Amino acid sequence: MSVRTTLNGTSALNRRGLLKTAGAAAALLAAPRLATRRASAGNPIEIVHWSWLAASDGEIWARMIADFNEAHKDKGVQIKMEVVPEEQYVTKVLAAVATGKAPDFGWGTAGKGAQLARDEVVIPLDDLVAKAGLDIADFSASSIAASRYPKYDNKMFMIPMDLMSLQPEINLDHVKEAGLDAANPPADGATLLEWAKAMTKRDGDKVTRSGIMMTGSGVQPTVTWGIVAEQMGFKRASDDLKTACVNPEAGKQAMQWVLDLFDKHKVSTRDVTDRYKAFGTGQGSIFWTGPWTLNGYVGQKLPFKTALFPKIGDKHVTYFEGGGLELYQQSDTGRYEATMQAVKWLSDNSFLWTTVGRGASPRKSILERPDYKTTGNSWDVRGAFVDGMDFASVGEIPVVNGPNFTIYSGGNFLAKTLEGVWSGQTSIDAAMTQIQTQWQADLDEG
Amino acid sequence: MSAAAHSVDDARGRTPREIDKAGYVLVAFFAIPFFLFNIMPVLFGFYVAFTRWSIVGSPKWEGLRNFTRAFNDQWVAVAFKNILLYGLIIVPCVTVLGLLFALFVNKRYPLSGLARTLFFAPTVVSATVIGLVWVWLLDTQFGLVNHYLSFFGIDNIPWLTSTRWSLVGVSIASVWWDLGLAFVLFLAALQDIPGEINDAAIVDGANRWQRFRYVILPHLRPVISMVVTLQLISTLRIFSQVYVMTNGGPASSSSSPIHYIYSMAIVRNLFGYASAIAILLFALILAITFAQRFLLKERV
Repeated sequence: MSVRTTLNGTSALNRRGLLKTAGAAAALLAAPRLATRRASAGNPIEIVHWSWLAASDGEIWARMIADFNEAHKDKGVQIKMEVVPEEQYVTKVLAAVATGKAPDFGWGTAGKGAQLARDEVVIPLDDLVAKAGLDIADFSASSIAASRYPKYDNKMFMIPMDLMSLQPEINLDHVKEAGLDAANPPADGATLLEWAKAMTKRDGDKVTRSGIMMTGSGVQPTVTWGIVAEQMGFKRASDDLKTACVNPEAGKQAMQWVLDLFDKHKVSTRDVTDRYKAFGTGQGSIFWTGPWTLNGYVGQKLPFKTALFPKIGDKHVTYFEGGGLELYQQSDTGRYEATMQAVKWLSDNSFLWTTVGRGASPRKSILERPDYKTTGNSWDVRGAFVDGMDFASVGEIPVVNGPNFTIYSGGNFLAKTLEGVWSGQTSIDAAMTQIQTQWQADLDEG
Repeated sequence: MSAAAHSVDDARGRTPREIDKAGYVLVAFFAIPFFLFNIMPVLFGFYVAFTRWSIVGSPKWEGLRNFTRAFNDQWVAVAFKNILLYGLIIVPCVTVLGLLFALFVNKRYPLSGLARTLFFAPTVVSATVIGLVWVWLLDTQFGLVNHYLSFFGIDNIPWLTSTRWSLVGVSIASVWWDLGLAFVLFLAALQDIPGEINDAAIVDGANRWQRFRYVILPHLRPVISMVVTLQLISTLRIFSQVYVMTNGGPASSSSSPIHYIYSMAIVRNLFGYASAIAILLFALILAITFAQRFLLKERV
């Protein structure tokens, strides 16, 4: 270090010395980061994994990664997991790819990655899957289909890890109180309303406990509309992804059905702010939600069971969400094979994930295991999320502007447009016209 | 440069030119990062506003398309309308309440020291925490605010779940959060007013209102101007409370331009479009600031 002594005897750093010191300090601080980021030859390969799972399912996923590392501690491969907030996830992946520091693999959602596929942020996996020896025939056909993008040569961009659907969770205390038979939950629209009316509590004209758990805005009414509309014959996009809003009248009927829950049947209130907390504290009796809620509610000893989503319209369908792992673009393409081997291991060993973690397994071999139904949470709360996958088909629309079509969203174009209807600011006809116009433009963009 | 500085540097054997260079180097420690991380992103943002860009790959030039889209986007119009409404609620409330609290504390009643701390305390809490606390306070069914209002026979108000009230709900939390700074500025200004002026007014027979209107208020005008300007800019940039308390809903009734910019950039990765809206917001803030300076010019 270059130090000069002044006339009064104190030591002073000169400019060059100061810059040298600052540079050395910066290098020193950066060194460990550079060293851990990419392993050099001879050291174990460190595969960087980003995950947004932060709730109770995140703990199970962390166990999966720990199990992998334990199983590979002498094999020269380790996974380093970093948790990234879900809402910022894609942006951070994009930034990481743009700067050449992308994680090797991360979580994706079936049908939501069209933009990433277009921009080559995620890589097609067909060849790597074949090389790694991952048995694609063991996956359900629908899970593989949902991982492909017709617009991008129908290539597969994700390895399915779990399949999720929305099914009603029913508060058993409320069922008992209303004198209903918990063994025969509602299977059609009429019975659903009967149950809801029987379990709803009111103070005068005001609903104080919702028979059907709903919020005045956000995800819950939007996804409810999405499911009911498809059941009534509405389609957000034609199969060839060229025409938006097939059978708009059915979509309008579904809007009216949701509105009636609040205003005609009075089995729901718009006043609920946090639907998860509200159901957990007994403010709602029937709440359609996903398997990600199970560990939390079971943990707090909420008395509930899960049923299959009722058939309200002519078609029996519910919301579908496929979770999986995608590989991100690397400057060192040699990393892909090692990463795919790690993903293969995680998929082959996803029994824990799809029993204790979340969702149903996309792997036939796992579903057929005799202990699949007896592991993890009881089948009473978990079963509908596995059996219900048979009719879970309302998923994402795999186009670049797909987020505008997402029914499980609280702030996208669809949610905001429908919120106008729920609040009485927009007529049903006007909302459908807005949706049709926007979605057609989105489909035209490809 | 001062004579003292010359003598020291002469003693160290350096010429004024060398001393100047040293100054530039010292300034560079701030200026270079400022240029790289503040100025450059702003300039890049202006460029991106005329392009289509989602971080990966080069921006594609699109001319004024993002701006045309913004002018035709109903949610942009709603967000800009909302901040004007936020401004109309938050700025006067913060200014008037801040002044009233400052007048109260300045009287030095017993426990005014405690009051000073309590009035200022919310300012040091993060907006996110404030938002989370107020979500519970304003809960329609179980919130404390509705609970206390019910004692006066007021029915439950859907503060955060109705298109009619959500903006008011967010504003209440914002006023509570912003009040502390205005209060401190007013208190400092009040304590700067010489006591003799007030005494002279009393001797002249001025009552309390007249002393406030003709003695105190004129002295506070520069601070009022500053509080209004700062509050206006802060309100135009409102985000955290909106994000935490309502996420802009229902039906965008509480959204703000920054919240919409965030949605477009971070959630949808439409950086060009988000930048275009950011420029429109910048233009609005600039116009309002100039208008305000012009209007208050004569009086300040």
